[in-house]
Amino acid sequence: MNIHDNYQKNKKNIFFSKNKEIQNHREKLINIFENDRFDKKNNDSLKNINLKNFFDFKYKYLFPEEISVINNNHDNSYSIVSVNGQCSNFKDDKIEITKILEEDYNDFSNNNTFEENDHFVNLNSLFLNCGFKIVIKKNNNIKIKISNIVTDDDLTIFQKNNFICEEGSSLNLIEEYENKNNSTLNILNVIKLEKHSQLNHFLIQDNSTNHNLIITSHSSCKKDSTYTQKVYNFSEGYVRNFHYSELLEINSEADLQGIFFLKDSNTSNNKTFVKHLAENCKSNQVYKGILKDLSKATYFSNTHVDQVAQKTEGYQLSKGILLSENASYFSKPELKIYADDVKCSHGSTIGPIDENAIFYLRSRGMSKIAATKILISSFINEELSSINNEQMSDIIQKKLLRYLSAIK
Amino acid sequence: MNSETLNTLDTYSKNKYKYGFVTEIDNEKPKKGLNEDTIKFISFKKNEPDWMLDWRLKAYSKWKKMNEPKWSNLYFPEIDYQDIYYYSAPKGFDKKPKDLSEVDPKLIETYNKLGIPLEEQKVLAGVAVDVVFDSVSVATTYKGELEKLGIIFCSIGEAIQKHPDLIKKYLGSVIPQGDHSFSALNSAVFTDGSFVYIPEGVKCPMELSTYFRINAENTGQFERTLIIADKGSYVSYLEGCTAPKRDDNQLHAANVELIALEDAEIKYSTVQNWYPGDEDGKGGIYNFVTKRGLCEGKNSKISWTQVETGSAITWKYPSCILKGDNSIGEFYSVAITNNFQQADTGTKMTHIGKNTKSKIISKGISLGKSQNTYRGQVSFLRKAEKARNYTQCDSLLVGNQCGAHTVPYIDSKNNTAVIEHEASTSKINEDQLYYCRQRGLSHEEAVSLIVNGFCKQVLQELPMEFAVEAQKLVSISLEGSVG
Repeated sequence: MNIHDNYQKNKKNIFFSKNKEIQNHREKLINIFENDRFDKKNNDSLKNINLKNFFDFKYKYLFPEEISVINNNHDNSYSIVSVNGQCSNFKDDKIEITKILEEDYNDFSNNNTFEENDHFVNLNSLFLNCGFKIVIKKNNNIKIKISNIVTDDDLTIFQKNNFICEEGSSLNLIEEYENKNNSTLNILNVIKLEKHSQLNHFLIQDNSTNHNLIITSHSSCKKDSTYTQKVYNFSEGYVRNFHYSELLEINSEADLQGIFFLKDSNTSNNKTFVKHLAENCKSNQVYKGILKDLSKATYFSNTHVDQVAQKTEGYQLSKGILLSENASYFSKPELKIYADDVKCSHGSTIGPIDENAIFYLRSRGMSKIAATKILISSFINEELSSINNEQMSDIIQKKLLRYLSAIK
Repeated sequence: MNSETLNTLDTYSKNKYKYGFVTEIDNEKPKKGLNEDTIKFISFKKNEPDWMLDWRLKAYSKWKKMNEPKWSNLYFPEIDYQDIYYYSAPKGFDKKPKDLSEVDPKLIETYNKLGIPLEEQKVLAGVAVDVVFDSVSVATTYKGELEKLGIIFCSIGEAIQKHPDLIKKYLGSVIPQGDHSFSALNSAVFTDGSFVYIPEGVKCPMELSTYFRINAENTGQFERTLIIADKGSYVSYLEGCTAPKRDDNQLHAANVELIALEDAEIKYSTVQNWYPGDEDGKGGIYNFVTKRGLCEGKNSKISWTQVETGSAITWKYPSCILKGDNSIGEFYSVAITNNFQQADTGTKMTHIGKNTKSKIISKGISLGKSQNTYRGQVSFLRKAEKARNYTQCDSLLVGNQCGAHTVPYIDSKNNTAVIEHEASTSKINEDQLYYCRQRGLSHEEAVSLIVNGFCKQVLQELPMEFAVEAQKLVSISLEGSVG
């Protein structure tokens, strides 16, 4: 079934399909789909992808019987369970949660950060069927944990979330994706940080083999704000992490980090993109991956420094370890610099575990497997030890142990 | 940036291209445009055998179906292939002169202006020069000495006549006709270039060198160079270019193929200083070059060194296919862009054999309003066990209107191979500048010194003959905008 028919057929279930402006935008998107050649070689978003799975899909969405629960735990922390992308409305003096609105959609459709041919973002806009908006009110310091639950098999969920951190607020956000069914979850997070605000964003991804998770995020930072994102991908199913960040005003910072652990014939596509649009901003992009068996990964990183963005500091690092002869890793760390007073660098390494290190450990009586495990742990130790949240740290450690135990 | 820097910037950005002059020689041209007749005309003029004409026509039919590659970070008006002359030979060259006294004296004068007096060079430098003026080889020197060793060093046209078996075997074997549109175009209409064959076990005793020069308005120059190093041989090849000043954009699409058999080594060095256009970005050469080397045999080595200072547009990726086990590929590059120049250059290292190694050192310097991109691909295929790559690409930005970009593609399909890549972008270190100024250097001298230091890693790879010229070129290129 082609995209156009698929959309027409399911139009009634899709958000905002009566809005004229939105409809125009969607028609444009359908046009893009129909005219694109789906060139895997030159389209970052299609690398290693089974096109049929994602673009010739059967649309299915179920409105959950029980809508989500929001708990206010009184220590400034909230836990939210989002079921099939739905979340009930909530309001107190610190946060406000509502359904996503038409104006949020329009706000997004005018955003030109994403490539026109990023078809997953286009699919998301086209088939949008759920999503919510969370506003953190001025000068509040809170914690939120969101568990994203998909209830049934074969669902196709297209979700758009908005996070807005108002002036001076600080948010610690943990998102969990642990689903064990054959569904596809396509999420687009739009994150806005106002002046002096701060957001620490953790994403834990641990889905079963046939669950596809597509996460795209766009964060924009105003003066003196800081966005930190850490992605931990333990999924056995396909995961795509595409994260874009725009530094709009001076002294803002973006830090996009990720670790992925792949095995079997799993694939993961990763991309980070930071646009420096103001002076004195800093950015950091670090992705590390461990690939076992037949797994494949890609990592695209990109630092774009505008002509006005003097005194920029932008760093990129990509590291991959290949544990088996059939694993493959592709990385493309890009720098685009139009200002002269900048410090930008990138580094990228791909290789096996250091044989000398293995030899050292083995000569001290360790088995080869034990030595390999120790070296893998040390490879990502920096990322793990920087987690300043004890509960998070425990969860990650456990998942890491599970991955390591499968190494033979 | 302080006002002094701005002043120097201003003064030097007004400097004119020092090598811009035109020699007026009558040209014999076919009609403008590209079609089968043009190709037949070229083939006829060069007195080529039928199989060569067929080969050209095949390339042309492929070219007709192709589009220009669009992925580069370059912006230029569409090229009208029908508005270009595809053949121009200085008059009276149908029959080649036997020695220099028969050469048009105006030509000799041109070379003298460029500082390459042929006769002196013959004696002094110990370099055999195969000079290409427009498209026909003017004079080939030192042939006798090379012939004694069994080395073949001649124009490609001559090689087609005299060594058809080698041409048939190797031409297009590294760069297939239909690789991309510029290679197809070159295959269809190439007029001249050099051919080198080094027999088994021979170490070429001198640096082989060709100076290219584009003359004649609206003539694209399409050279084809083919170098074959047989088992255990060694050759170092030099290529250098300067071009006279012209307003119309000139298309230049050369193909260079290198083949290194077992234990052979080829060192290929280029200094490219085609006319880059004036300070308003008017004119200049469009340089679309395909250079590719194949390390066919075990323990073979191919090394590319380039200093790119000219051309309005540079599109050039000298690459190595490391097929033989233990083979080595190297790429050293300095690319300087000024005014409105655009360069998208880099390399491609494809590791196929076991224990293959490659090293990439690229230095980009952007000045004025130019855009300088490094684009490199390193890929390890499944069987490239224990392969290694080290890549370093640094960019220096001078002035706040230019851009420096780095686009590496890194792909590993082997778990015993190791890839390391690092890159940095920054401006000239203020402390270093201050240190130099304090010791009495002018701002201009200081910048020149620092930039030369920045490029040293690459420049020291050049053969002696080029090292001096290259250093001067770097300084001259900087004069355009920093000092």
